[in-house]
Order: sequence, then C-alpha cells, then structure tokens
Amino acid sequence: MRGKFLAAGIFIALGVVAQGFWTPADAKISLEKCTLCHGKPEFRKILVDGKIRDLFATDDSLKGSVHEKKTCVDCHFDVSEIPHRQRPKRVTCTHCHFKGNAEGAPQSDAYLEYFRSVHGKAIAGGNTKAPLCQDCHGSHAIFKVKDPGSDVSRLSVAETCGRCHIKIYAQYKTSIHGVAVSRGITEAPACTGCHGEHKIYDHKDPKSSVYATHVAEQCSTCHASVLIMSKFGIEAEQVATYQNSFHGVASGFGSRTVANCASCHGIHDIRPPEDPLSMVNPRNVPTTCGKCHPGANPNFALGKMHVDSHDKESGIIYYTALFFKYLTIGTMLALIAHIFLDMYGRTRRLRGE
Amino acid sequence: MSMNEKRDPKRQTLEQEIETAIDEETAGLDPSEAGKIREKVRARVLEEVERERRIRTAKERREEERRRREEKRRERLHEEGEMFERFNRNFRFQHIVMFTSVIILIVTGMPIKFPEYVLSRYVVNLWGGIHNTTLVHRTGAVMLIYFMVHHLLYTVLSRRGRRDLVLLIPTPKDARDAVQNVRHFLGKTEEKPRFGRFSYIEKFDYWAVYWGCVIMIGSGLFLWFEGIVLKYFPKYILDVALEMHSDEALLATLAIVVWHFYNVHFNPDRFPGTLMWWHGRISEHEMKEEHPLEYEEIMAKREKQEGAEGPSR
Repeated sequence: MRGKFLAAGIFIALGVVAQGFWTPADAKISLEKCTLCHGKPEFRKILVDGKIRDLFATDDSLKGSVHEKKTCVDCHFDVSEIPHRQRPKRVTCTHCHFKGNAEGAPQSDAYLEYFRSVHGKAIAGGNTKAPLCQDCHGSHAIFKVKDPGSDVSRLSVAETCGRCHIKIYAQYKTSIHGVAVSRGITEAPACTGCHGEHKIYDHKDPKSSVYATHVAEQCSTCHASVLIMSKFGIEAEQVATYQNSFHGVASGFGSRTVANCASCHGIHDIRPPEDPLSMVNPRNVPTTCGKCHPGANPNFALGKMHVDSHDKESGIIYYTALFFKYLTIGTMLALIAHIFLDMYGRTRRLRGE
Repeated sequence: MSMNEKRDPKRQTLEQEIETAIDEETAGLDPSEAGKIREKVRARVLEEVERERRIRTAKERREEERRRREEKRRERLHEEGEMFERFNRNFRFQHIVMFTSVIILIVTGMPIKFPEYVLSRYVVNLWGGIHNTTLVHRTGAVMLIYFMVHHLLYTVLSRRGRRDLVLLIPTPKDARDAVQNVRHFLGKTEEKPRFGRFSYIEKFDYWAVYWGCVIMIGSGLFLWFEGIVLKYFPKYILDVALEMHSDEALLATLAIVVWHFYNVHFNPDRFPGTLMWWHGRISEHEMKEEHPLEYEEIMAKREKQEGAEGPSR
C-alpha cells in the first residue's frame, strides 16, 4: 500500500518536471506574472544618484498603442523566469522589426539606415546617451506617426528631439518654423523635415541632407514649390534667385565656404525679416554679411538680396538687363546679316551671275 | 663648271650614264633637237651634282637653305609684290596679350554664367574647383588691364599709335563704304568700296573691343573689390555691375566668335587665316585689294621722297 503511494508520488513529481520539456517557452510568462510586482502603484527604483526609475506597468500600458496585442515578454524577451534577477537589457526593436520578419511587424530599410546614421554610430561607439528606437518612438505608448499622440508625429517630434538637443529646441520653438508647427501648420518642417528621420548624419558629413552644399536643395523642397509657398504668401523664387547669384553658383560647384541659405537666414533661429531678431532684418544685415565680408556697413542692406533681373520690380537692374538684351540681339543680327550678304555676294560672283 | 678639272673614273661613268640615257630618250628626234636637249640636260644634271657636292657641312646646308628661301621669296615677289609692315612689333605684342587674356577670361568666366552644363563643371574641375577658377579669371583680368594701360599709352606716346588712333575714328566715308559694300554684295554695283588703312569693319572691331574692355574691366573691378565699393555705394550698384559684366561678356564672346572669326578665318579670301598678327606683313597685292587708299598714300609719299633725293636713280 505504502509502495503504491510512493510510486504515484514519484510519477506525479516526474510529470510536473517533465511538463517543462514540452511546454513552449515564450508562451510561458503571462501578463499576470509581471503585473504582480509591476502593477503595484508607486513601483519604482530609486537610483544611487537620486534619479527615480519608474517601473509601473499594467495591461493598460500598451492599450491604444500599436503593440496592443503583445505581452511584456514579446519585447522583453530576455526575461525567462519570474522574478528576473537581473535588470532586463534595453529592448532591441530589430528583434521583430526587420525585413522578412514573421511577426507582421512593419518592414523597412529605415532601421538599418539608422545604424549608419550619426545616432547609430554614437551607439556603436558606446555612447549610452545616444538614442535607440524607444527613446524617440516611446517604449509602451508607441503610436503610428500620423497619430497626433505619437512622440514622433510632425507636431510633437521637435519636443522629442529637444529632450537631448535642448538649446536647439529652444531656438527652434521661437523660430518661424517652430511657431508654425505649434500652430498646427502641417507643411512647416520640424526637425525631421530637414534632417531626415533615420538617416540623420552630422552636418559636416557629405551624406547629410544639411551639408553645406546641400542646404539650398533641402530648403528648395518647400521654398521652391509654388503650391506650398502660395499658401503662406511667400515668393517661390528665392531658391532660384539664390542659385543664379554668385553664392549659389559657387555653392553648386562645391564651395563650402560661400554663403548658403542657413548662412544668412540662420539655422534653427530662422525668423521673418520683419522680426527685429531676424538675421535678415535690414538692421542686422551688415552683421550677417559681416560674418564673411569684413567691413560690412549699412550699404550692404541697400538693395534686394534675392535679385531677379527679369522682374520689373528690380528697377535699374531690370533695365540694364533689358538694354543688354536688345544690344546683343541687335548687334548680332546686324553682324550676321553682313556676313550672310558677304557670302551671298561671293557665291553670286563665283557662279558668274 | 669643274667638269674639265677632275676626270676621275667615277665622274666618267656618271657622264657616260647620262649620255646613254639622253641617247635613248632622244632616239626619235632629229640631231639638232637632240643635241639641244642633250646640252640642256647635261648642264642641269651637272649643276645639281655640283650643288649636292657643295652641301657637305652643316654650314653649307644652311647656306643652301637660305639660298632656296631667297629664291622662293623672289618668286613670290614676282606674284604678290613687295611686303609692307602693316602692324609693328608693339602693336602685335598688344594683340597677343589681349587675345591671350580674353581667352583665359572667357574660358574661366563662361562656366560661372552657365553653371548647369557638363562642360562648365569640367572646366571648373580642370582648374581645381571654383575658387581656383576665380583666381585664374582674375589673373586674366590683370593681363587685360595691363593691355588697356599699354594700349592707352601707345595711342598717346607713340607716333604710329597716335596716327592709328586718328585713322580709327569713324567718318562719314565709313557709312558710305558700308552702303556701297552691301550694294556690291547684292550685285547692284561692280565696284568694291576702296578702303584706307582701316575699313569700317576693322574700325567696328576696334571700338567694340574698346567698349567691351571699359565695361568688363569697370564692372569686373567693382565685383572684385566689393568691400571697397560697398563702402561708398549701395548694394544694388553691385547687382547692376554683375548684370553688366555677365551680359557684356556674352555679347563680346559672340562678337569675337562670330564676327571676328569670320573676318579673319572663315572669310573665303583668307581661310584658314594668316600669320599677319605674328609677322605683321602684308603683300602689295593684298594692299591693293583691301587697302588701296593707304597703298596710294604710301606710293605718293615714296615718290615725293625720291623726288626730293633728286633723280639719282
């Protein structure tokens, strides 16, 4: 009798142990197991330097986000037992987000490009402050970019970048683009509009969209578009007139020392000319030009900067161009007519007429 | 003829060969004809042999070359007549400096005016970037400014220069010549207009370059020293200077490539061109064709001089 109980007990014990061999691992740790601790309000860790690491997370954390249907260990896949003795490593989104993945996660080359970017290189170089996917897109509250609740939506992305790039964000917020974005104007560029999203390179890197010789091209994506500019009453000729000027021509040939849009208008502190703080306000023009042209004085501001010789509004410049146009046409017509008559006369005489 | 002097065996065989050849060729003719031919041929052949024997050292070869050139010149003299110096050395030097600098300026300036073209990028890369291109452009500019100063002094300080400047001033005769020339082209009159030292075409070329230089150098210096200019003038003056510089450059280039090149290269009378800009000489024949009035003046002056010297000729 006692033998039968012992056998049954061993059998059951074996069964319990054996169960571990055929149960799939990732289905193991359920949400309830995590929220046992993490679901407690005020669940947090206070670090040595006084910073507080908030560890509160419940099943509501993912609600409304794009990962609504996932559980904790779908991303925190390095957690294999509860309690997890070590702090889980930072989530690597490329665990699912890669081309050809079976999870149904969005696939894009953007993720690989990110690792070639200045942020990616910083991470590879060991900079722990450099952002990974979750630093910009959020960790639990990830929404689609078009969703205004997303950290990387057009209207919010500047604030996200501003978490690290503080000074620049402060300049940008009061600049004309920043003000437009905060007013909800979707055509206005936030950081990503000029610098790119995942392919951000250092501005001194020739691959950067804001490399010295690429600046005009970048600004032209909006400022040369009549469709966009007409909505705001801005001339769309600015880029073309720049490219016709000596600065534009030299920049087109690869000069990095010559002025581009940012040299005169500012980079993150772009303001309309009427603004007294604007670099292109007539009173500030001598200082702006003086960055490269020593001895700049108020004469520098007397005249349009973006000169269009075909526009009657350019005054004397227009009439000079007109004069030379007719002088050239007239002179060349007369000379060519003379040559033609000369040859005609010769041919006649040659033919014996 | 040293044929009687040396009667060495080699010469004898040579003479015999010549004799045999002559005999063969003149076999069918009557004896007196044959004899004449024989004498002529013998004389000629022996002359050639003598000449070749003379050319033994390099010095002798050079002498021979000089003799040949003189003969050619005498032949041409017979065809074309005497050579006059139309352009003196000073004038030719100025022209060389001018066209060299203008070519440099055009080659380095056009890419800046037409930057979209592959050729422009090629030229800029040739000089090593846009900054270098501007340096070469300014070098050409300095050469052109030197030319302008040199020419101005020439027209003031040199006798030929003063005379040329006066002769270049447009006169009513030029208008008449132009009309007559067009009528001549159209076949309404048989006679070409008779030009003096400078035809209306050459006068146009001269003053067009004058105008071009003044505008290009003036506007160019404004653009080069923009800082100094802006001390005294408002910025839009520089915009005007840029417009003038850019537009006049195109006009001057077109005028040279179309008009000047036609007149001196593609004109059927002169194709492919002459070296007159190098040696400065014009033949009597061409003088009479192109500048008959000047030719007559020179002849008249010569006669007066010879008359003054007395009938010693």
